[in-house]
Amino acid sequence: MLEVREVTKNYDGRAVVNRVSFEVHPGEIFALLGPNGAGKTTLIRMITDILKPDSGVLLLDGRPVGGDRKRDIGYLPEERGLYRGDKVLETLAYFGQLKGLSSADARAAATGLLERVELGDWLQKQVQSLSKGMQQKVQLCTAMIGDPRVLILDEPFSGLDPVNVMLLEEILHERRAQGTTILLSTHQMNKVEQLCDRALMIHHGLMVLYGKVGELRRRYADYAVTVKLDSDAGVPADLPGVRDVSARDGGFNLTLESGTAPRDVLRALLDRGAGVESFALASLPLEDVFVKVVREGLGLDHGMSQAAAPIEDVAR
Amino acid sequence: MTLSWKKALTIARREFVTTVRRRGFLFTALGTPAYFALVMSISIGSSAHEARDVLRAFRSLGVVDSTGLFERAERSIDTSLKMDENPFAQNVEVRSFRIDVHFFEDMASADSALRTDEVSQVLVIPADYLETGRLRRYARKSSIFSSADRRPIASWLVGGLVAGRLDSLQAARAMRPTEQIQLYTLDKDGRFQYSDDRRDLLDFLLPFGFAMLLGLCITVGGQYLLYGVATEKESRILESILCNVSAEELLAGKLLGLGSSGLLLVAFWIALGIPFVGAAAIAVPVNLSPVVLVAAVCYFAFGYLFYASLMTGIGSITSNMREAQQFAVWFTFSNFAPFIVITMILSNPSGPLATGLSMFPPTAATTMLMRLTAPSSVVPGWQVLLSLVLLAGSSLLALMVSARVFRIGLLMYGKTPNLPEIIRWARRG
Repeated sequence: MLEVREVTKNYDGRAVVNRVSFEVHPGEIFALLGPNGAGKTTLIRMITDILKPDSGVLLLDGRPVGGDRKRDIGYLPEERGLYRGDKVLETLAYFGQLKGLSSADARAAATGLLERVELGDWLQKQVQSLSKGMQQKVQLCTAMIGDPRVLILDEPFSGLDPVNVMLLEEILHERRAQGTTILLSTHQMNKVEQLCDRALMIHHGLMVLYGKVGELRRRYADYAVTVKLDSDAGVPADLPGVRDVSARDGGFNLTLESGTAPRDVLRALLDRGAGVESFALASLPLEDVFVKVVREGLGLDHGMSQAAAPIEDVAR
Repeated sequence: MTLSWKKALTIARREFVTTVRRRGFLFTALGTPAYFALVMSISIGSSAHEARDVLRAFRSLGVVDSTGLFERAERSIDTSLKMDENPFAQNVEVRSFRIDVHFFEDMASADSALRTDEVSQVLVIPADYLETGRLRRYARKSSIFSSADRRPIASWLVGGLVAGRLDSLQAARAMRPTEQIQLYTLDKDGRFQYSDDRRDLLDFLLPFGFAMLLGLCITVGGQYLLYGVATEKESRILESILCNVSAEELLAGKLLGLGSSGLLLVAFWIALGIPFVGAAAIAVPVNLSPVVLVAAVCYFAFGYLFYASLMTGIGSITSNMREAQQFAVWFTFSNFAPFIVITMILSNPSGPLATGLSMFPPTAATTMLMRLTAPSSVVPGWQVLLSLVLLAGSSLLALMVSARVFRIGLLMYGKTPNLPEIIRWARRG
């Protein structure tokens, strides 16, 4: 398990990562979110032991990251590059050797990975002869070679066509099934909703969201429920505990007053003879949550003082 | 922090193999000695050929003698020229030339003969020649690079002045009084050793060559390092590498791998030069003390570490290769600065300039090698030791600062930091 505890990093007297704490479990895909300049890259660089934190600890299975544990972490950085004049197989085998594999094992692992990403015919080609998308797949392989227990991918989908996006998703699912801890940093919120179990969002170096993706989406939906009725009669008036009713996607969005239990609203609807087809807790697209948090500064007041607090406390 | 030598050696091997496989490496390996050989052959060969051409064109000398002293002088001048394109060759070709001498009554007729190419040059001997020594020589043109035509005229004048007063042997000796003079100079062991032109040349070439090889080795290794760091930074691959190795392991691997590339290059040049050095060594035996060779190795190691550290720092703070070169050129220049004053160093190897430069870390390696191999130079042991200590200390300091700047600078893109920022990095790193 990857544990980040109260980690802080300052540059020129400014905290770019401020008492951030979270954990990622084996077999989990975890999203690291935040606007540009939020401190994500700095945080990742500390996890990969490229940078040292000013305070706090970063543990992998209870032991500090770095040193000989570097082999347990694979990283696809957002700033990408390869040795353009080298052959694809050589490049990847070199990274394998840096991960501690022998020359023969590194070449075998590199060949296997390149075949998995459908670059088996390009082993002996120079990197510079590959398209941008192909180079990105080679770079992804540099992160995966040596089968690290933690895989950190920074914007892994950018530059990939839809077919390769699907391929990458397949690979991520495979790795998750093998028990790899996957930390995904991306601005593609649909991919987070689709792939990730939990997420952390930081803003100005502070934790502002942390929890299961589904919960985050519901928490920021203004405490509402969505209802679909089997008639055009509309939502009965005078429902107790309902502050506002609005039409949405062929149904209705009911904003609840604080303290109102959704089940009481459902019961009231049924008591009034409404033909309820569906009733669910409302949830916002993650993208809307992201924008809301960044624009409205939600969670910022709590971020520093309650960095490690559970989602309920941090988000509201 | 612990350094994984396995990782460092993996990096070193890659850096070495990638560098020596480059076309540029082969071009440097073959091109540099070819260039030097070309320049040397043009320089030495052209001076010999220039002298030969001057004497070949000097077929006849017209003389207008107003003194009457030269009536009995020879009507031809026999002279010779050593064609020493290779100063260390065992057999030097000697070419003979004959110049006919024609007397003219007056300047007008001599002038006419010169203009119609009847004579190559005209020598006017005024009536007061004995008192003043004044002579005038007229020629259609003069050679900028050779005065080979003056020596036969001087000999002819001497012969003319002594004609009839001395026997032929005395006259011949008077014409070439120092032709066979031999110079003996004190060597480092306090013994007088025969010193001819070849020895003089070797006395210059040996320290020059040693210092040049050392300087090139240090510079080439440093340049490869600069190139390696700057291009890796430019290609944005460093973050992927630093996820797998520490900055210190990366730095150690680069220092080892690229330093080895530089050494291989110089070893190749030495191997190429062995046939020529061998010929010179047969012609003029050279005794190089093992201490000098050990010192050369030490100066290479610390000199390389010093410059390589600086180049690494520069490579890591700049954004691209062009910018890195602009900074690096000043350090490269300081490594070769002693060559500007090489004559002053070799003529006074224990003087304040030579001693000072050999203590100053940026110029210590090349200058001390010049001093150690200079003829009749005896460098006190304490000076060598002090120079090495200063250089080693500076190298380690440069390495420490560079490693700190390297660690932070590698992942900084965009604006090149200013000096206060670099100092801050060095403290923080």
